[in-house]
Amino acid sequence: MKEQKHSVFGLKYWLYDFAKITAAPPCLIAFRPKYIYESGQAKKKIRGGAILIANHTGFFDPIYVMLAVWYRRHRFVCIQELFEGKRGFFFRHFLCIPIDRENFGLDKLNEITGHLDNGCLVSMFPEGRINEQQGIASFKSGMILMSLRSGKPVVPIYILKRSHWYERLHIVIGEPFDVKRMYGDRPTLAQIESAAKALHDKEYELSKLA
Amino acid sequence: MQLTRDEIMERLKDIMISAGGGNEQIYRECTEDSDLSADLGLSSIGMLYIVIAVEETFRIRFTGVGMSDFRTVKDVIDYIEEHQE
Repeated sequence: MKEQKHSVFGLKYWLYDFAKITAAPPCLIAFRPKYIYESGQAKKKIRGGAILIANHTGFFDPIYVMLAVWYRRHRFVCIQELFEGKRGFFFRHFLCIPIDRENFGLDKLNEITGHLDNGCLVSMFPEGRINEQQGIASFKSGMILMSLRSGKPVVPIYILKRSHWYERLHIVIGEPFDVKRMYGDRPTLAQIESAAKALHDKEYELSKLA
Repeated sequence: MQLTRDEIMERLKDIMISAGGGNEQIYRECTEDSDLSADLGLSSIGMLYIVIAVEETFRIRFTGVGMSDFRTVKDVIDYIEEHQE
C-alpha cells in the first residue's frame, strides 16, 4: 500500500480533528475497546488508500469503526438523506460522502476512487442499512468495483454489539483483501458477486473470533 | 472515428457478453428497445460494470448521469453516439 499523502495536521480538517480528539477519551472510557486481530498481517497499521468495511448493527457503529482504526481520518459513505436539514452540517464537515442509493452515478464512483487514489481511508457498511436481524445481511458489491477501479484493498472489521453498557466493545480486524490480485483487472459480474460473498463469509469468520 | 449505431450496438453486445452476468443468448438477441433491467436482467452493479467497460471501450466519460437515467439499450447508445469523439 502507498504512503498516505495527507498531512497529519491540517486546517482543512480542524473540525473533524477537534471533534475526534475531544470525543476520544470519553469514548475510550465508555467502550474500553478490545482489539482482536485475525493474523499478524491484520495487526499492521493501514497505510494509504483502503476501503474499510464493517457490519452495521446500530447508530453508533461509525464511532466504533473510528475506534478500530483510530489513527486515520475516515470518509464514511452515507445515504444522501443524512445530508438534508440541520444535521447535514455535521455530515458535511465530517468528511462523509453522500450517495444516492436509487440512482448511483459513475461520478460518485469516480469521486470515491479519487479519494482512495489520494491515499484516503473510505469506510462503509456494505449491508447498506442498519441490520436489525440476527447475523450479517448480504453485502452489496459496490465496494468491489471501488476496489477494482482504485486497486486498493478492502479491510474487513467486525464489531460485536454490546448487550450491556458495562461490557467491553470487541472489535475484530481482518487481513486486507486484495480484489485485483484475486480476480484480475476485469473480472466478470459473477466474480464480483463472488468477491462480495467471500467478504461476507470473512465477516462471519471474524465474528467467531469476537 | 465516428461509429454508426449498429457498430455501437455490436460493441455493446460484446461488452455485455464478456460481463457474463446473464444469458448470452438474451444479450445477442437484444434490440434497442430492450429494457436493461427487465429484459436483460442487469442489476445496478451490472449497469455500473457495463458503464465502466463502455467508458474504456469507447473512450468517453459518463458525467452528471446516474444509473437510472439509462432505462433501455437505446438510452445507452444515444449517450455514446452523442459523446463519442
